[in-house]
Amino acid sequence: MIYFMEKLPKQADNRVTDIHIYIPTQAYFLSGIRDFVLNLTKNMTGFSQQWAYRFQAVVDELCNNAIEHGSQVGQKIKVTLISTPDKSLEVIVEDTGTGKDKMTPEQMTTLFKERKHMVGEKYLGFRGRGLPKIVGEWTDEINFGISELGGLKVHIKKYLRKEEDKVSSVTSKDPTHLILK
Amino acid sequence: MTDVQITIEDLSGLPEGKSGKLIHVVGQLDESNVDEKAKEIYSLIERESQALTLIFDFSGLEYMNSKSIGYLTDWYSKVTASGGNVVIAAARENILDILQVVGLTQLVNTYATVDEAKLAVSQ
Repeated sequence: MIYFMEKLPKQADNRVTDIHIYIPTQAYFLSGIRDFVLNLTKNMTGFSQQWAYRFQAVVDELCNNAIEHGSQVGQKIKVTLISTPDKSLEVIVEDTGTGKDKMTPEQMTTLFKERKHMVGEKYLGFRGRGLPKIVGEWTDEINFGISELGGLKVHIKKYLRKEEDKVSSVTSKDPTHLILK
Repeated sequence: MTDVQITIEDLSGLPEGKSGKLIHVVGQLDESNVDEKAKEIYSLIERESQALTLIFDFSGLEYMNSKSIGYLTDWYSKVTASGGNVVIAAARENILDILQVVGLTQLVNTYATVDEAKLAVSQ
């Protein structure tokens, strides 16, 4: 696992911490990224411990999707964490697009919407909860795009509660950028 | 593989004609280990001929991913279809939170302690 952190000037774009992590496409490494996200969120973002655990799950699900569906064994996925303290946390997960279930941003957007409808409160299916429920319920925005690595780029954003009212009035003209709350 | 231990013990005090197991899960259930560990529970369910009660003691469970929740749902479906019951005991706040967001707490009863769960399933 490769960690790279750069501190950006707060005045430039209000991004304070921008962290890039490359993870080999093996599930073995997911516990490491979960620990990292938990500690980062607890200590550097202004989010509560409850949200730290939630982001841990969100990142785990996104990374697992990128490894299981978006990339072949022996490659790396890229995880970017952007923390704007007391304002928002963003996570970007990118795969190489070489996996068995490669999808376009448009296909992923459609799949996400379908699963949001499919997975109700008493859903008995074996799979399909990660993206619509864990990621979808615990983020404010999700955007599916194309990664420079060749595959899918999933970008999620969560605002601190005091900012959430502002988010609810935002609309997006991009069909693969969903405002969830 | 992420570390997780599953230990299983017999439950006593159940109504006649029912058998039960208390399943302690300690560690983290994730993509690296859940498929392997799930086999132990499926084996347990398949061995039982009478209505089975399963109490999952999650007091030592630190993390579970969506696939492990999928397995839990499948065990619930199989056990209840045979007249049995599945409950969760002593789950930590982050585990209850994830079970709630996926809707599993609408299906499976949760109890604050193992003793409360035992009392509930014995009635």
